[in-house]
Amino acid sequence: MNFFDRFTKGWQKYRKPGYYEEFDYAWTMTIDLDRCTGCSACVTACQAENNIPIVGEKAFAKGRQMQWIRIERYWEGEYPNAKLSFIPMLCQQCDAAPCETVCPVSATYHNQDGLNTQIYNRCIGTRACAVYCPYEVRYFNYNDHHWDAPLDQQLNPDVTVREKGVMEKCTFCIQRIRTAKDEAKDDGRRRVRDGEVQPACVQTCPTEALVFGDRKDPQSKVSKKLNDPRAYRVLEELNTLPSVVYLKKVDADG
Amino acid sequence: MATHIIGLFHGPDSALAAAGKLRGAGLPTPELQSPVPIEGVEEVLGVKKAVIKRFTFFGGLIGAASGFLLAAGTAVLWAHPTGGRPIITIPPFLIITYELTILFGILATVLGFLISARLPAIRERIYVPEAAVDKFAVIVACDDDEHRGRAEAILREAGAEEVRASMEQS
Amino acid sequence: MDKLQYADVNRDVVRSLVETGPRYYAALFIAIGVTLACFFFPWFYQLYYGIGAAGMNHPAVWGTYLASFIFWIGLSHSGTLLSCVLHLTNSEWRKAMYRSAEAMTLFSLMVAATMVLVHVGRPWFVHWTMPYPNQMELWPNFRSPLLFDVMAVATYLTGSSIFIYMGAIPDFAAVRDRTSGWRRHMYVLLSLGWRGTDKQWHRLGWAYTFLAVLIIPLAVSVHSIVSWDFAMSIVPALHQTIFAPYFVVGAIYSGTAGIVTVMFVLRKYMNFEQYITRVHFDNLGKLMLVLSLIWTYINILEVFTGWYSGTSTELEAMKYKMFGYYAPLYWEMILFCAVAPLLLISKRFRTSFVPMLILSVAVNIGMYTERFLIVTTSLSRQYLPDAWGLYVPSLVEVSILIGSLALFTTLFLIFVKIFPSVSIYEVKETMATPKRRPSEEGVPQWQPTS
Repeated sequence: MNFFDRFTKGWQKYRKPGYYEEFDYAWTMTIDLDRCTGCSACVTACQAENNIPIVGEKAFAKGRQMQWIRIERYWEGEYPNAKLSFIPMLCQQCDAAPCETVCPVSATYHNQDGLNTQIYNRCIGTRACAVYCPYEVRYFNYNDHHWDAPLDQQLNPDVTVREKGVMEKCTFCIQRIRTAKDEAKDDGRRRVRDGEVQPACVQTCPTEALVFGDRKDPQSKVSKKLNDPRAYRVLEELNTLPSVVYLKKVDADG
Repeated sequence: MATHIIGLFHGPDSALAAAGKLRGAGLPTPELQSPVPIEGVEEVLGVKKAVIKRFTFFGGLIGAASGFLLAAGTAVLWAHPTGGRPIITIPPFLIITYELTILFGILATVLGFLISARLPAIRERIYVPEAAVDKFAVIVACDDDEHRGRAEAILREAGAEEVRASMEQS
Repeated sequence: MDKLQYADVNRDVVRSLVETGPRYYAALFIAIGVTLACFFFPWFYQLYYGIGAAGMNHPAVWGTYLASFIFWIGLSHSGTLLSCVLHLTNSEWRKAMYRSAEAMTLFSLMVAATMVLVHVGRPWFVHWTMPYPNQMELWPNFRSPLLFDVMAVATYLTGSSIFIYMGAIPDFAAVRDRTSGWRRHMYVLLSLGWRGTDKQWHRLGWAYTFLAVLIIPLAVSVHSIVSWDFAMSIVPALHQTIFAPYFVVGAIYSGTAGIVTVMFVLRKYMNFEQYITRVHFDNLGKLMLVLSLIWTYINILEVFTGWYSGTSTELEAMKYKMFGYYAPLYWEMILFCAVAPLLLISKRFRTSFVPMLILSVAVNIGMYTERFLIVTTSLSRQYLPDAWGLYVPSLVEVSILIGSLALFTTLFLIFVKIFPSVSIYEVKETMATPKRRPSEEGVPQWQPTS
């Protein structure tokens, strides 16, 4: 192959939008809002799994709480006809993520699982990604955090603890995905089976409102959910191509 | 060892006139030293080659090439896909190209200036301190006494306030 | 200015460098003290504690540090840019003031670069934004608007320092001959052995013009790129195509006001009354008037675009900006930057020094507010209402803002004692050439022979 052919081939490869020919896995989460009771179990599970600091009363009052997954509450109407709806909001793992392009030091990028990953020790804390994220799911470490005596014993050894000045976010529990992939490789299987890996929030959800899986596998639970007519993506008009799909709540009054 | 005859003038016109006469009389091309740039020097002492524009042009060209190559090359060699964009994204890389074009253009212009104006000066050369204030100096290099006498006569005739000789350090 | 002779210029400028009164030392002492107390002390505290020392919170992750960054970059925009444009158009009135205007560019850029260090969460790793080969095999992300910023600001800093230095080489040479001691050694080095020969003047003229040509598009690109930090996001009210011209005009506007302030101070306290005159204030006033009108137009356009889009998020952002929590600041900005400059229509106003000083300071306060509003109002009202927030600057941020002004003043005070703050040779160019002595009168003009 001569130089010109190699050049054109390379050019085509590197000019391809999204770069990846195809993802190895395309991890997807569906959230059935009809099943969500707003119990916040996912928030707690996430906090425990990912070593998310408990910021304390003062920082909370300043609006610096850290919840990689949070329950957004929306009230409609006036009392007594008020209606409350919940929407769990976590990193949407957008395939066209605005946060990724803006990082000047490439601390966040898209990996081959279709995940939007954050490299904590590369982050210099410009916080531009949090500005660019329309879902407001990136959390910044405004100061160093510490865990009081018994709590430091429950830190997850698979997950790092983040320094001050670092941006952090939901990773779909990438440490679990990595372990599942390693196990699949050790067993001689090429792929992770459906249901073998679950992020902490999905595992904890008592009503199974959250479902996680690979949308490249047409037989997976999540792929079936995606065909639901109630499926929609939050702020779809922004063209961020999120990997989190919500299933609309069906009310008696429509 | 060459001697330099220095004539000090009050205004740029008479200095220029003297320089023209010296050149017309077959002496080496005189050098002017002045507190401000003199207009019309080229008509008298001949057109000077403007080499700096080549420096600027090629500097800019190298800057443009290296700007795009820096952005595209590092992106390709250490691929970090972001935001669903291709690895070689043309519009952002053109901005890097634009900035580096200007940066290299500026640096090359400075280099061209320093080289063509012989700066920084390492050897000591003829310098007339009055020319930094309000005098216009005409300096001509003379090899022998005959030239020296002629140069002095021409300078005095042209209205020099002061004529003096300076030995070149070598 | 006709009364001045060539030798007077040298004398006056050297005097401004060498003769230092107790007032100068007092000013320098206060400036350094305020810089240490209000800038470095809170900053070190913030380095130790984390960005949490500032008032930022979850939706509003950017605050006054970024507003200050844009403000200082904006202030830097008039000096070198104006100087280049006026150089290329051969304006006479540029010549007495451009050196200090360019110095303003240089120092506000330096302060802006410091604001970046203050702004980022981990400034000790900020060199990772520089493209250099490293063992981590990771390069900066050239797709990022923030990285365009790094490249643009670095280029602008290099370009404008070279520009101010190159224009000052003949002046260093002139000052070199009239000073002694350590100053002389410094100027010997700085003047690079300049002699002022016809060849050197010719080279300098070309190089200077080329630099001016290169720096004009550079300066325009710098603030466009700063605006893209915001406009490239999809945040409502920031994602607008008008932002690049909006920022560039705003930058030149606040920079011109900054020049007026600096000119006033130089004139008053460095005894340059004969050099910086009413003509300069008149011309700068006209420029400010035009820029304020353009700025007002773009502001109206911004609101109109938001309203015309009809999307709920844009409408909410506009409504919040004009009538929300920060509304008093918005109307203050309109008053200072759009209404008050209309006074400049009067020539009497433009040529009075103290009113011009007051107006120029007011305009810059207004322009700081503009940057503050751009950052805060848009970030606290984004797409998801649950994540709306409110941002109020903390004491540390206010202190650092005051300290950055003191830092700028310190740098400028050091500058006026090292750089000839009025260009010697360019001022001479505007003056009549020295009178001929009677003996020269009869000498015929030399004519080219061919």
